[in-house]
This record gives sequence, structure tokens and C-alpha cells, in this order.
Amino acid sequence: MIIPDRSEYLKALAQSGQKIMGVLPALYPREILWAFDIHAAEIWDPPGELLHANAHLQTTICPIVKKSLEFILKEPDIINAGYLFPHTCDSLQNLGTQVKDLIGVSLPVYTFYNPKGSFNNTTTKYYQDILKNFQSTLEASYGPLDPEKLLAACVLSHNIDSHLLAIQLARMTDHLSLNNLEYFKLMRAQEYLLPTDYLSLLEQVDILDQPSETPRARLMVSGILPPTSEILEFLDELGVSIVADDLLAVSRRIPKFPMDVPVSPLDYLTDRFFILPSCSTRGGDLDERLHHLSKLMNASQAQGMLFNMVKFCEPELFDHRLLVKTLREKSIPVLTLETELESHISGQDKTRIEAFTELLFEMVSP
Amino acid sequence: MVDLYFVGVDVGSLSTDVSIIDHSGKVLSEIVIPTGVNGSEAAEEAFDSALKLADLSREGITAITATGYGRASVTFATGKTTEISCHGVGAHQLFPRTGTVIDIGGQDSKVIQIDSRGRMLDFTMNDKCAAGTGRFLEVMANRLELDLDELSSPANIEGESAPISSTCTVFAESEVISLLAKNTPREEIVHGLQRSIVNRIWSMVTSIGIEGEVTLTGGVAHNRGLVTLLEEKLGLTLNIPENPQTVGALGGAHIARRAYQRSLEPATN
Ligand code: SF4
Repeated sequence: MIIPDRSEYLKALAQSGQKIMGVLPALYPREILWAFDIHAAEIWDPPGELLHANAHLQTTICPIVKKSLEFILKEPDIINAGYLFPHTCDSLQNLGTQVKDLIGVSLPVYTFYNPKGSFNNTTTKYYQDILKNFQSTLEASYGPLDPEKLLAACVLSHNIDSHLLAIQLARMTDHLSLNNLEYFKLMRAQEYLLPTDYLSLLEQVDILDQPSETPRARLMVSGILPPTSEILEFLDELGVSIVADDLLAVSRRIPKFPMDVPVSPLDYLTDRFFILPSCSTRGGDLDERLHHLSKLMNASQAQGMLFNMVKFCEPELFDHRLLVKTLREKSIPVLTLETELESHISGQDKTRIEAFTELLFEMVSP
Repeated sequence: MVDLYFVGVDVGSLSTDVSIIDHSGKVLSEIVIPTGVNGSEAAEEAFDSALKLADLSREGITAITATGYGRASVTFATGKTTEISCHGVGAHQLFPRTGTVIDIGGQDSKVIQIDSRGRMLDFTMNDKCAAGTGRFLEVMANRLELDLDELSSPANIEGESAPISSTCTVFAESEVISLLAKNTPREEIVHGLQRSIVNRIWSMVTSIGIEGEVTLTGGVAHNRGLVTLLEEKLGLTLNIPENPQTVGALGGAHIARRAYQRSLEPATN
């Protein structure tokens, strides 16, 4: 299974004339974009130094927002159809406004205001209204949307979800022969691959008939993004497998359970949104989130939880304290790492991770 | 029975410590030397000195655990374990009723919770800053032109304390400079600095809580003024090891002993 390199892939796609929209984290109706033949290239943690973004943003803004702005300011030629800012948090919403009104990027800037709170009549109606508005906004630039294409996009999305659910389950039960780094590379490839290419990749994933060798310790990870490649490799070296996750970039964007094949796009999109796992960025109910986490921990037999916290991420920090407290009360070992999306792991963090794994190994040793 | 000897080598940022024990856990020798710029050389030197003191040779050693931030540079070790686990095990060996270990090391501080067998249950480490560490005291001692012993004199804890509000070493140093410029008595500044470290440690302790007896490890445990303030703040009496700097190395030696015993288990089944 070969996963194409993100920037080379997107460059080639742009050169082929593909419309590409830069999409900021995290939740947006990708199916509507696909139906307009627009490819969504997600911008989470673009590489590169912060040179200009700091001039526009406060120091206490999270690195995802800063790095995204740096990326946008460079006017990358792979993005040709504009930028989409879902309302994930206040920082991203502000960035959307800033980019449009103050910095004045040349490409169109779109916003998408996801409903906060859980499923009820008001949030459902609101969500359906914003879906229709988003569609109309794009129609103003790209002409009327073909309903058949939207349905086909929903079916494609459903297909991808079904594969991802099966892969997640295989991961939890050791039926996947991928290490931590390979697993998260695969899961994150959906951020930039065309949905058809991503589906073909998922179809190649080998789900084993028998469980593979049990790792020395099993870990669950929560936060916005998976730990950096260096940390994932380090965990691989130590024999620790991340068997389940509660990451915004990964599992919080996959429905909690399989859905029926779409018949009505509007209903499908609405149902899909509301059966996503509870998330701090949607103002979800904390008890529901805790319940979901403990279900995942049980199903995957994870022995501990690693919180990979993006520095200054307000929504996550808001829930974090209580989540840690509750897990500790249940005697579940917890480790919190803070990341500024640096690519190198500090000596202190290395010691933290190693000590945490020693703690997990002691739990499993006689 | 063949004599079995186990060694812990703790390469810290300020000092390198070695502890040698026999099969029963009896301490045969302990050594503390400055790490200097080369952790690997310091480990070799400390190991040789400890062997000499115990009248042993390298060939007679059964297993060696390397620990501390420079653990990877100890090429002669047979295993490596983090200083967090080692301090837990070391404190348990010295004070078996220890439930919480506070280790104030050269470049970081940790609070570790351990169970009744010395196994780590939880831990927290200070963040990316020298505040609340041995380095903080060293920087301040330099600035105040005192040696570390003078900085720990119990007489210093009497009387007024100068307010040091920064938790950052660099900013705290500027505060000290301003206080000196205002002719604030050095005793008051020292007291203020000790209080600032204690507050820093206190916030770490509260983040994971206290269980059982509390043992203080690391060179800072020699600072009597700080110990008194910390005891006052925690409302309890701390266990202070005779050699607080070698607790990590001692834990390492016991971990080496335990690993050796475990390696024999399948054969005896
Ligand atoms: S990391 Fe947190 S604060 Fe930053 S963009 Fe994501 S949700 Fe917003």
C-alpha cells in the first residue's frame, strides 16, 4: 500500500486543472463540494516556519491557526477555488474574517457555521438550512447543482465511512498489520486524496483473519491531531500500539456506527453529522463524550489515555481537566502532552512517554 | 551462592550518581560527581569510582540500569529505565511507606505516586522551564553571590520574605536584581526564592494529589530552608533520605536486580 506524498499529490492535481479548495478544520459537508467537482484539500498542520502569521495574530492563538495563516499568506498555487472556514472554534472563525476583510486574499473565502449542541429539532433545522445556504453560495459561482451528483457523492462518502469503520474495528482488535505511523498516515490521507483515490487505498487495506501479535501495551489517544511522526515512531519502538482514538482529525469525523445507504442527500448529511462522536468543538455534552471514550477504551482494551493537546486550543482545554479527573478516578493512567506542532520531540517529552509506557508495562506484567 | 551485584547509574543534568547493591539489596557504595559536558565520560568515571569504593571490578557486576536524562549515553548499561520509575523504586526501598515522591532535580521536578510495591501509579513533571528546579537555585545563588549551602541555611527561613512573583527563572532573576538594587536583605530574597519553588512544587502536587508518606529526593532536599517551607505548605513531615541525590541510582540498581530475578523465573518454573 503506497500513500502518495501530500504536497506532490496536490501539486499534480492542481496542474491537471482540478478545482481545489483549501479547507480549514474540521467538519464541513465534503459531499457538497465533491458534487461541484471541487476537491477539498484540508489544511491542519502545514509544514514550514512561522514568518508572517505572527504579525496578524495574538501570541495565545493555537499553532493550527497560525500555521494555516502562514500557509494562506504564501498564496500556494495548489489552492485555486478558495478557502472554506468551518466554525470549529472562535480562533478559526476570526481567522476566516481576518483573511477575508483585513488580509484580503485574492481567492473567495467561504464560511460554514456548524450547529453547536446535540441533536434536536432546532439544531437539525438549523443544520439543514446552512447546508442549503452553502449549496446556494456555491451555485452562485459554479452553476446549479446536479442532484444526481450530490447523491453519488453521498454514496461515495458512505462507502468511505464503511471502510473506515471496519479498519477502526480491526485496529482495536489487533486485526491490522500497520504500525502507529502507518495507521495514522492512512487515516490522515483522506485530508488530501481525491475521495475515489482514498477509497481505492482503503480497499487495499489488509484486514487479518487472525489477530496479529499483541502489543506490549495498548494506548488510546485523544485531542485534535495524532502525535507527530517522531512520537508515533517512538511508541512503535517501545512496543506501544495506539489501538483507538478520539481525535478531531480522525475518529471524531467518522460516524459512530454504520449508516444506511443514502437515498436523500439532505437527510443523509444531517443524520451523518449528528451521529459523529461527541466533540469539544461542537459544544457536545461531556457525559456523552465520557461515555463514548469509555466504550472505546473497553472495546480496544486500551490501558491508558494519551491526551495530545494543541497549545492554546480553547475547546479542548475546556473539557480536558474534567476528562483527566474522571479517568484518574477510574484508575486509568493518563498522560498529557502539549504540542505546538513542532516536528521534534523534546527530551522531557521523551522521558514522559517512556515513563508512561513503563507504567503501562508494569500494569500488564505479573 | 555466587555473589551478585547490581548497579544504577543516574546521569542527570547537574550530577551523575552511581549506586551499587548486592543480591540482598544492601548498598555497597554510592558516588555523586558533576556531570560536566560529557554524560558518557561522567558515567564511566562515576562507575569506576563506585566500583573502587565497593572493592569490585566491572566483570563482577551482574546487571546495570542506566537512568536520568543521559541514560542513552551509558554504553555499559544492560538496561535503561526513566528516572521517574527509578525514583519511585528508590524511595520505596528507603521508606517503604512512601506513597508520593517529590523529586527536585537539576533541570526538572517531578511528583510521582507509587503503590505499596514501589511501582509507579501516576506522575507529573514540570514544564519546559527551569523554575522549581535545582538549576533555578543555582542561577539565583550565583546572582546573590552565595554558595548553595548558604542558600539553604535554616537561618534564612526566619523573618521577612521578599516577594518573587515570576515562576520563570529569567524573570525571577530580574526580580532578584531589582530587589538587590533596592538593598533588600539577601536573607529575605533567599526566603522569597525558596517560597517561589515551594509554590511551584505545590501546584504540581495538587495536580496529582498526595498518597501515603511523602519522600523528597534530589539534591534540593539538602536545602533545609526549602524543606521546612515545603513541610509547612504540605502540612506534613517529609522523609528525607541520607543521600537524596542517589535515590534514582539506587532505584536503578533495584530495577536491575528485579529484572535479573524475573529473567530467572521461567527457568525455575
Ligand atoms: S486546535 Fe483548537 S483552537 Fe486551534 S483551530 Fe483547532 S479547535 Fe481551534
